[in-house]
Amino acid sequence: MDLSATHDTFVLERTYPKPPDRVFAAFADPAKKRRWYAEGEHAAERFELDFRVGGIERQLFRLGENTPFPGTAITTEGRHEDIVPDRRIVISSTMSLGERRISTTLATFELVPEDGGTRLVLTHQAVFYEGADGPEMRKGGWEKLLDQLGAWLEE
Amino acid sequence: MSAALAETPAGRVFHALGDPTRRAIVERVSRRPLSVSRLAGPLGITLTAVAQHLRVLEGCGLVRTEKLGRVRTCRLDPEGLTLVSRWADECRSLWERRLDRLGDLLAEEN
Repeated sequence: MDLSATHDTFVLERTYPKPPDRVFAAFADPAKKRRWYAEGEHAAERFELDFRVGGIERQLFRLGENTPFPGTAITTEGRHEDIVPDRRIVISSTMSLGERRISTTLATFELVPEDGGTRLVLTHQAVFYEGADGPEMRKGGWEKLLDQLGAWLEE
Repeated sequence: MSAALAETPAGRVFHALGDPTRRAIVERVSRRPLSVSRLAGPLGITLTAVAQHLRVLEGCGLVRTEKLGRVRTCRLDPEGLTLVSRWADECRSLWERRLDRLGDLLAEEN
């Protein structure tokens, strides 16, 4: 089995016309964070947030009927590693597809006051496990897909 | 599926496999490479229709075609369903959309 791990880093920036305390609140308040983080194209089936250093964030959603893996759960479990009010939030988290871990990421959110608003800088560092690129996962993915294709075609 | 997801690489794969004829093509070429005319026969559709489906499947990397002499052969592209390796791209576009929604949420608050 190929145990290669692949790494990826990206940086995103946004400027919001609201002061840092308002942006910070959108990370600290579970109801607010759920709205921008866990809703959207897929509404999360479950979202829990314990906003303190060491506090856990959990998200679960399921792939829809019109996907190759309907009903499969995608879960993300994160831990708040560092919180500096109105300035910085660091979250490490692991994403899994079904039982298989896909990736672990370190997301650093820096809030910089700027002209009465806030510049948010997200540095997203990820390691994708052998499942992400290895032939075993590729083969496994195909086998599973083809099994499901077969089932669909027999219906 | 939302428009945003449909534009992602995985979304294109999901879209391509949402069509029963295209699923049948993928299943058949997964067993062995086939010429376009041999693909078209049992599916009961025209060569033109097969060519259109193949363009969709090639566009999202599920199937590869190559012309050997006068025959165009279709085979499964083993790179195509690395849905998980596409996660790197997915992650970035997912976060782009999240940060935009955060902006929308902040704009609503007064």
